[in-house]
Amino acid sequence: MDWRKAVRQGLIGGITISFIVAVGMFQVFDSRKVIDPFLSAGYVLILWVPIVFGYRATRQVLPDGVERRPATGKDVIAGAVAGAITGLVLGLVVVLTALKPDIRNSFLFLSPQMVEKFSYGQSQWFGVGVLTAGGALLGALGGALDLIPATIKRILATVAATVIAFNFAELVVGDILRSAGLRAIDQFLYTSSRGLKPLAALVLSVIFVAARLLLRGRTAGIRQRIATQNSNGKKSWYLLLALIALAAGAWLPNVFGLYLNEVLSNVGLFILLGLGLNIVVGYAGLLDLGYVAFFAVGAYTMAVLTSPASQALTPEMAFFEALPWVLLMAAIAGLIIGTPVIRMRGDYLAIVTLGFGEIIRIAFLSDWLSPITGGAQGILRAGYFPGENRGGVIVQWGLVLAVAGIVALIVGALRWNASRLIESGRLSEVTPYRKPVTYALLAGGVVAVVVGLLFPDFATWVIPGIHPPSMFRIVLVFVAIAAFVSWRLRDSRVGRSWMAIREDEQIAQTMGINIVTTKLLAFVMGAMLASLGGALFAVKLGSIYPHSFEIIQSIIILVVVIVGGMGSIKGVMIGAIVLIGILGGPTQPGLLREFGEFKLLIYGVILVWMMLKRPEGLWPEKRRAQELHQEEMAQDAWLQVEQEPASEGVPG
Amino acid sequence: MAEHMMETRALAKRFGGLNALAGVDFHIDRGEIVSIIGPNGAGKTTFFNAVSGMYPPDSGDALFKGQSIAGLSPDQITKIGIARTFQNVRLFPNMTVLENVMVARHCRTHKSVLPTIFRSPGFLAEEKEIEDRAKEILSFFGKRLHGYRWEQPAYVLSYANRRRLEIARAMATDPELLLLDEPTAGMNPRESMELRELIGRLRDEWGFTIIIIEHDMRVVRDVSDRVVVLDHGEKLTEGTYDQVSTNPQVIEAYLGRQADQG
Repeated sequence: MDWRKAVRQGLIGGITISFIVAVGMFQVFDSRKVIDPFLSAGYVLILWVPIVFGYRATRQVLPDGVERRPATGKDVIAGAVAGAITGLVLGLVVVLTALKPDIRNSFLFLSPQMVEKFSYGQSQWFGVGVLTAGGALLGALGGALDLIPATIKRILATVAATVIAFNFAELVVGDILRSAGLRAIDQFLYTSSRGLKPLAALVLSVIFVAARLLLRGRTAGIRQRIATQNSNGKKSWYLLLALIALAAGAWLPNVFGLYLNEVLSNVGLFILLGLGLNIVVGYAGLLDLGYVAFFAVGAYTMAVLTSPASQALTPEMAFFEALPWVLLMAAIAGLIIGTPVIRMRGDYLAIVTLGFGEIIRIAFLSDWLSPITGGAQGILRAGYFPGENRGGVIVQWGLVLAVAGIVALIVGALRWNASRLIESGRLSEVTPYRKPVTYALLAGGVVAVVVGLLFPDFATWVIPGIHPPSMFRIVLVFVAIAAFVSWRLRDSRVGRSWMAIREDEQIAQTMGINIVTTKLLAFVMGAMLASLGGALFAVKLGSIYPHSFEIIQSIIILVVVIVGGMGSIKGVMIGAIVLIGILGGPTQPGLLREFGEFKLLIYGVILVWMMLKRPEGLWPEKRRAQELHQEEMAQDAWLQVEQEPASEGVPG
Repeated sequence: MAEHMMETRALAKRFGGLNALAGVDFHIDRGEIVSIIGPNGAGKTTFFNAVSGMYPPDSGDALFKGQSIAGLSPDQITKIGIARTFQNVRLFPNMTVLENVMVARHCRTHKSVLPTIFRSPGFLAEEKEIEDRAKEILSFFGKRLHGYRWEQPAYVLSYANRRRLEIARAMATDPELLLLDEPTAGMNPRESMELRELIGRLRDEWGFTIIIIEHDMRVVRDVSDRVVVLDHGEKLTEGTYDQVSTNPQVIEAYLGRQADQG
């Protein structure tokens, strides 16, 4: 048994656990009960420490080809030692706080209340004993992880995941049950302080453990079937998935309360921003740290054009009148920022775009632009409805119909042209174009445009910015458009040229790709998607200030993209749901309101952990995952080739 | 004098105090295969870089079909019909074999954002054309870059296959003049022999005019109509393989050392 390793891991654990207590995370989360009244979220935050470091004390780092030594009782002892040391370190911090109350001047949360909390009604030395013994117990559990049969481990993991998930998603579950009229179940599950009841925790655990044990081995077949689909089959799977997600998204606001709807629309906004940045960073590989500039341009353009509050420029347009201008301004901003940085790569590009991001913010803050942008006061009443003191979006269904008609006309005309070309033999038949569909599209398009333009106001949908459920729906429409555009661009000549400059800019240029236009196109597309996000942000908030566009916004959007999976549309969505939905954005709250001030700390931890363990992101594009595990993949591929009948060596 | 397909006049490139190219006069006519040989550091690759636009020349001029190309950017030069490969193979390693070739069709196609988003018939037809053309080019190399290879990322390829893929990628830009930088380096004798044959077919079947930098004298002997010898950035001599290989200056600068080793 490796004593030094056990002690070392124990000390690292001790520092970790003391840090969590010293910055106050334990105290803040202690008020949230996971299982009322036995287990608080604060304890969940520290209990994992001795288990993990107990396990690490016994973990063997093996060179290739060396067999793992079977776990023995000694591992349990090593784990216990590490765990005990972890507990002891925290205990000593408690004692130190009790003996030297001055420490509070530096660490606000090392307070008498904390001492009291960890003394368990006795002296602090009693607390040291409890913490050490508890640590030893949990550490021993960690050390014994390799001894426990896999089934039991699975059960334990399922129980822990179920309890924590149901507690963290308490708002979601509560809202769904209430809207389904199942208030009784809600009351059975949760106490008034929104912790799980012990009996409920037990019942839920039994249900989920049973489900997991029953389903075991049965999902493999389905997974296999999906994996062996050809690319067209996969495409239909993804389309189906996207439609289900869209339908669910449109339906969710009915179920959720106001707070969750607010969270939802923030998630939607960040998906929009993430999809835009994904084009710049994920597709074209241009590390843009000033992305918030385009968000700001979109928000300010929308606010200035719609609000009566700006001094110099008050056209008081409606949301959809202003939208083309927003896109135009964003495209111009993309060109202005993109042009000087065309020759730069990597770090230099990142630094310069960082600077540009700040320049834009400071420009909006400046006296020079203040007649238009309002300086530090910003612009109030963005998206304002004429004659009313509130703002938002008015959807004129007639105009929506007309736009849909125009799209139908475009598609119909393209199909008609294609059929003509196929008939005359100038175009090989790529996909069959059925004539009736083409005529239906053309006729329907004409009718829709005429009716829409004749009666633009036959029905209107007024969406106040302060009404999150409706706002989310309109955000969802924009997200769907952005995802569609990203998807179509990726699998095309344009997408391939972005990929090529991401791989090797110099060679891409030698292969005939004009890097100036290709890079500018990436910047402009990214900027336009960000400006849509900005426009929605402006009417949603109703007021815009320069300080909404700090550098931290750029960084958080980038973190969403990186954690989700660079270059992956579904990854960006997952990234935004996990980070913005659960933790919350830089200024927006998420599901776990307690995170509040610790949000950035957690962001940092997640980012570091992801970079170490899963650099390709949560749901990566297959290609990206390959890139980051290139060596292993290359080996696998070599093996595959060797097993195949030798196609090498025979002159062609 | 009849117009050459490509010629350089006193083409020069300096790196600090080093005259990498000290005024090279060179020409090639349509349908020729010209080898450039010379000891290491003679300026062969710099010559390619100057012609292909990667390093714009300091002085002198390069003409392609009578039009000056000195100072044009690499993508412009590719577009007017000069494509190249690289001494140290430079593929897009994480793109598939097929995509590597498809991406080189960029300068011969033109569908941009809107047709892409609407998947217009023109776009679909163009995509199909790109893919068919890429597959056609890859099938030039027999079975080696065919079938299941299409979907493999380029980095899993063997060294010889990477070289082949680089040639395929250059072919996909529809060049008239093909610059091959040591195409047989790192290949075994059999692969090298096979490539010699392919280079001949590149001219006869595909109609490319080819400049080739090569160290393997057997390859040079077999493929070239004419050999140009560079040393210290200057043209030492030129002529047929037999003329060049018996030239005492060349033997001293280049082949002499080769003979000692062999």
